[in-house]
Amino acid sequence: MSSLTLSNITASYGKTPVVTGVSAAFAAGRLTVLAGPNGCGKSTLLRTIMGFLPDIRGDVSLDGQPVTKIGRRMLARRIAYLAQESSCPDYMTLGELVELGGYARYSLMGGPSDRDRQLFREALETVGLADKAHLPVNTLSGGQRQRAWIAMVLAQDTDIVLMDEPVNHLDVKYQYAVLSLVRALVRNHCKTVIMVLHDLNLAAAFADDIILMKAGRILASGPVPSTVTSENVARVFDLEAEVFPREGRLVFLPRLPSSEAASP
Amino acid sequence: MRNRVLFPAALVLLLLAALAIHLFVGRNAPPAAEVMAALLNGEAESYDQSVVLFQRLPRALMAIYAGAMTAAAGCVLQGLVRNPLASPSTLGINSGATLAVIFGVFLLDIRIETQGLAALAGACGGFLACLAVARLAGRRNDPRGLSLILSGALVSMLLVGATNALLLSDPMRRAEFLGWVSGNINHVYIDRLSAFWWIGALCLLTLGMLSRALTLILLGREKALSAGVNVTAVSMASLTAAVLGAGSAVAICGPIGFIGLVVPHLVRPLAGANISLALPCCILSGAVLCLFADLGARELFHPYVLHTGLVLDLLGGLAFAIIVKRFYLSPDMREQL
Repeated sequence: MSSLTLSNITASYGKTPVVTGVSAAFAAGRLTVLAGPNGCGKSTLLRTIMGFLPDIRGDVSLDGQPVTKIGRRMLARRIAYLAQESSCPDYMTLGELVELGGYARYSLMGGPSDRDRQLFREALETVGLADKAHLPVNTLSGGQRQRAWIAMVLAQDTDIVLMDEPVNHLDVKYQYAVLSLVRALVRNHCKTVIMVLHDLNLAAAFADDIILMKAGRILASGPVPSTVTSENVARVFDLEAEVFPREGRLVFLPRLPSSEAASP
Repeated sequence: MRNRVLFPAALVLLLLAALAIHLFVGRNAPPAAEVMAALLNGEAESYDQSVVLFQRLPRALMAIYAGAMTAAAGCVLQGLVRNPLASPSTLGINSGATLAVIFGVFLLDIRIETQGLAALAGACGGFLACLAVARLAGRRNDPRGLSLILSGALVSMLLVGATNALLLSDPMRRAEFLGWVSGNINHVYIDRLSAFWWIGALCLLTLGMLSRALTLILLGREKALSAGVNVTAVSMASLTAAVLGAGSAVAICGPIGFIGLVVPHLVRPLAGANISLALPCCILSGAVLCLFADLGARELFHPYVLHTGLVLDLLGGLAFAIIVKRFYLSPDMREQL
């Protein structure tokens, strides 16, 4: 169980700041969603936590220790990251890809242990690709490929998982399947998941907490029921929307101008 | 999964077969019994046995070394540079090492041991010059490493030009080095192999230990970082090992072109992208290809013996055209450019 804290983070690409003065604490064992309009700095915030950007001010700390002081290998045993877009070289098989997820646990000369192999099998079963391990990743369909990358992240077996739009390329069935899986990981294995999601309905269905961002700042954050409100959505997205409970979860329904509604 | 065992095993058998053919077969081949006797005793008791021990075996060992090192360097460079045309001969490494040796011999009169050091320094210098030119040309906006390949071509032209100028300046020594400059596997260079083989061994060991990290780097810098790879350190160490390894091969038998370019492409469809497997397969295939090329150079135009480098340049030119067609001119790649 690890806790991740951001204090007063400012990050920029070149001279334009993308994230300004962001502070947040991510409680262990909760699923937090980052949401907001395109270009509001959600992905940048995840990449800041991973230390990918050259120009970062402020502190990211893991159990009170600054992440910049933790070596890459040690960090990879505690935080896994799934990028928005990933590309795999030709001829690499799904099995090889998933095995690479365990890299941080291997010794210099050694390979995966029996426990690692068990973990890889479980990861592939979880994403429903157990029978595809021998296939080249680039021959899989778009949705299968996305699940392959998720399996690689699961194989890394970390307490904290950062995911940048993990269900972007998936059809609605797998959107719910993958997010249910992430939800189960949080509940059963007490993992901490921080995820960028565009779809507020998915966020409301699966997240514990939500952070709403706009123009590089946090506008609202907290547990989903008290944070996803019509007022907050209007402030963040400049969009009129109804938010109402249905079957125990919040549903978000943007209002259409009457002239543009599709005819029934 | 089957390929993981079968393919390397097949390559080992192929290497043994190539070595046997190289030693036992050919015009003017000594009788098999003499070859066996020479190999088992390690001493030459007859003319035939001395041909085996002092001509055929050294040639074979040098071909194996040059092929293995160049192919390993090509495998690693293509992964790190992210370009299918990367290899010791296209990134200024071979031409840098060649110029340094010729410069040292012609102007400073250095001996064999120092020539090895000169080749290593020249290999690094050629590669760094290539990086510097690419940076001037805007390498940052070039995810596929194309500017690096183009600047490699420019730098190579300059270095080859300088080498030729030096060669022309001294007619006495020109003859001695003309063969070496075009890539010549020749038994007279065997003392160079015995002086430098450990450099290659260290380089291959380093690359082997880094192979899993190198595979992760193929997935992209951020993926590798998040999986726990210290990308900068691994890239630096493996580039150094690849450049020094290729440089040591040049130090022994001159610039052997194109094995580094071609072999990774031949191996990848069978061994996959995983460098832990592709690297040993490249090393074996490079050795096999170079042995066969050397065999061809020795036997095809009997009684004349060609330079192995020339044979490989001919084969390589063809392969170069195929790779360019496949990676740069195929319809689906054109859309991406």
